[in-house]
Amino acid sequence: MGFLVLREKKNPSPISVPQTFVDFIGSNLDSNLAMAKERIPDWLNSSLWSTTPSVDGRLHRFSLSPTTTTTTAAAAVSEPIVQPTVPVSPPAAASRPQYTVTSQKYEFRDPIDKNSNNNSNDNDQNASPSGVSPDDISRQAQLLAELSKKVVNFRELRRIASQGIPDGAGIRSTVWKLLLGYLPPDRLQWSSELAKKRSEYKQFKEELLMNPTEITRKLEKSAVDDHSKSESSGLLSRSQVTHGEHPLSLGESSIWNQFFQDTEIIEQIDRDVKRTHPDMHFFSGDLPLAKSNQDALKDILIVFAKLNPGIRYVQGMNEILAPLFYVFRNDPDEEMALLSGFRDHFCKQLDNSTVGIRSTISRLSQFLKEHDEELWRHLEITTKVNPQFYAFRWITLLLTQEFNFADSLHIWDTLLSDPEGPLETLLRVCCAMLILVRRRLLAGDFTSNLKLLQNYPSSNISHLLYVANKLRSQASN
Amino acid sequence: MVLVLALGDLHIPHRAADLPPKFKSMLVPGKIQHIICTGNLCIKEVQDYLKTLCPDLHITRGEYDEDTRYPETKTLTIGQFKLGLCHGHQVIPWGDLDSLAMLQRQLDVDILVTGHTHQFTAYKHEAGVVINPGSATGAYSSITYDVNPSFVLMDIDGLRVVVYVYELIDGEVKVDKIDFKKTPATTHSAH
Repeated sequence: MGFLVLREKKNPSPISVPQTFVDFIGSNLDSNLAMAKERIPDWLNSSLWSTTPSVDGRLHRFSLSPTTTTTTAAAAVSEPIVQPTVPVSPPAAASRPQYTVTSQKYEFRDPIDKNSNNNSNDNDQNASPSGVSPDDISRQAQLLAELSKKVVNFRELRRIASQGIPDGAGIRSTVWKLLLGYLPPDRLQWSSELAKKRSEYKQFKEELLMNPTEITRKLEKSAVDDHSKSESSGLLSRSQVTHGEHPLSLGESSIWNQFFQDTEIIEQIDRDVKRTHPDMHFFSGDLPLAKSNQDALKDILIVFAKLNPGIRYVQGMNEILAPLFYVFRNDPDEEMALLSGFRDHFCKQLDNSTVGIRSTISRLSQFLKEHDEELWRHLEITTKVNPQFYAFRWITLLLTQEFNFADSLHIWDTLLSDPEGPLETLLRVCCAMLILVRRRLLAGDFTSNLKLLQNYPSSNISHLLYVANKLRSQASN
Repeated sequence: MVLVLALGDLHIPHRAADLPPKFKSMLVPGKIQHIICTGNLCIKEVQDYLKTLCPDLHITRGEYDEDTRYPETKTLTIGQFKLGLCHGHQVIPWGDLDSLAMLQRQLDVDILVTGHTHQFTAYKHEAGVVINPGSATGAYSSITYDVNPSFVLMDIDGLRVVVYVYELIDGEVKVDKIDFKKTPATTHSAH
């Protein structure tokens, strides 16, 4: 719907953005740019990509064109009015051409999903009485149906999950476990896999969280107890220290030395955990629930740091762990096992903190250049906003810091469910984020652009994901 | 798992210039939770140095200490253990087990740490354990010139204490350990 409609709309309305673009082209006779002009899709030049809520926002919605509304609360207010259009859209949507990899169902989402997504967001945040939209329910039913099959079809699961996973009934928890490869597709093996992973984690905890005193006690099988009982007075017998293991040992292999080195990391983990999501009662505050959650987070991070001496602990891991923990909150053992399970996917991000992240950022820059050369040029060359200033946090923390908690869960649904891999999707979403605010960016200078990108305005997440998905099809053209 | 460093009789600057370098390299801040010092440091600079290792420092007065404000004896509770601290020149005969045991019963402690003899000893008797960390610098004593530098590190974990003895013999640091377990039955009640 969106694609075709916009093409018609573009011509009659003279908007500043394409105007500057045309000037830009006119002034520059570079043939490359001429080619680029063809590559910039028309839909990008529409004023609809502005993030400021337009007065005719509601009108747009009636005409079933994608708009970005900044607040979900505003949407909630207009909910009752928009609802009547919902039954209208599916038949119209059915006639839309399929231009994305995902199936027809994804098209449905476009006009409705704002409503349903806003609904689910509202459910998260203010428990509004607007309830769950029919589309949400159908998705939930679909997911449940898929999950209850004997062997889960991954393609099917990814397809449904990419539209967003509803928050109820612990569905998200199971779906994420499947998508991250933690659970095998065969449903029968689930319980045994879970039991195995949980016992593994327990074992790790016992081994790695012990302090050296306990370790030395376990190692030696001395009959000291008998000794001390037999002699009532006199000189205490001295015994040899095994392997030079004493608390002040400076040897590299000494457990004491390692323990003291680990203490620094443990302190850092402790500090970061205490600062995780201070606005959420789940994580912080004086409640015993928050305390136990924090302890669990700490244990997980410590075990992970010990199991991966290559990465250890990097600041920010707590932010990535937080949504995972929240989703799987009933079982700390699973998050830990998951953390190690998906380390290939996500922890490459943190591993990138030395060299690799730079290549990822340059890829993002390249991506932006391919899709929106004007914006790229303005950002990097004219205003000199180096992508490292904003994209670093976006990429390494997987956008958890840019959006509120519920939105980031939604984004993660899409990240995890994409068959191309989370990194690709992440790049696309970042690019989409830039494109959505392009008007403001093009109008701004270094300071205002940087400010904008470092405090990314809250926007309609489903819309953002829609644009990101569009970028995929663009690249493949 | 509480690490307590016990040392004393350094006699800096009168009889020794400093701790042996091998000891100094091992004593780094951040590892030890408490320091108990039997006395005879003798000057304030030594106290400052020990403070940098660990902020929780307890000292009792030795006969050559220049700071007269240290107490004669001190008791403290660490974990499940009560520790008593005294220099030991007050207990006559010096280093005698029975007399020290009397002092221990007086102070009502499980572990008594005393010095003055500049020799490491660790005794056990019904009332508890007496530990003498020796002289950390190897300074000569009133009794003998033949002194090996030594100190003691106690690892208190619940009802169990592992005493690590660090001695400098022929230029090499030798570490031994002693295990001591406090059974609830041996807690002495005041008679």
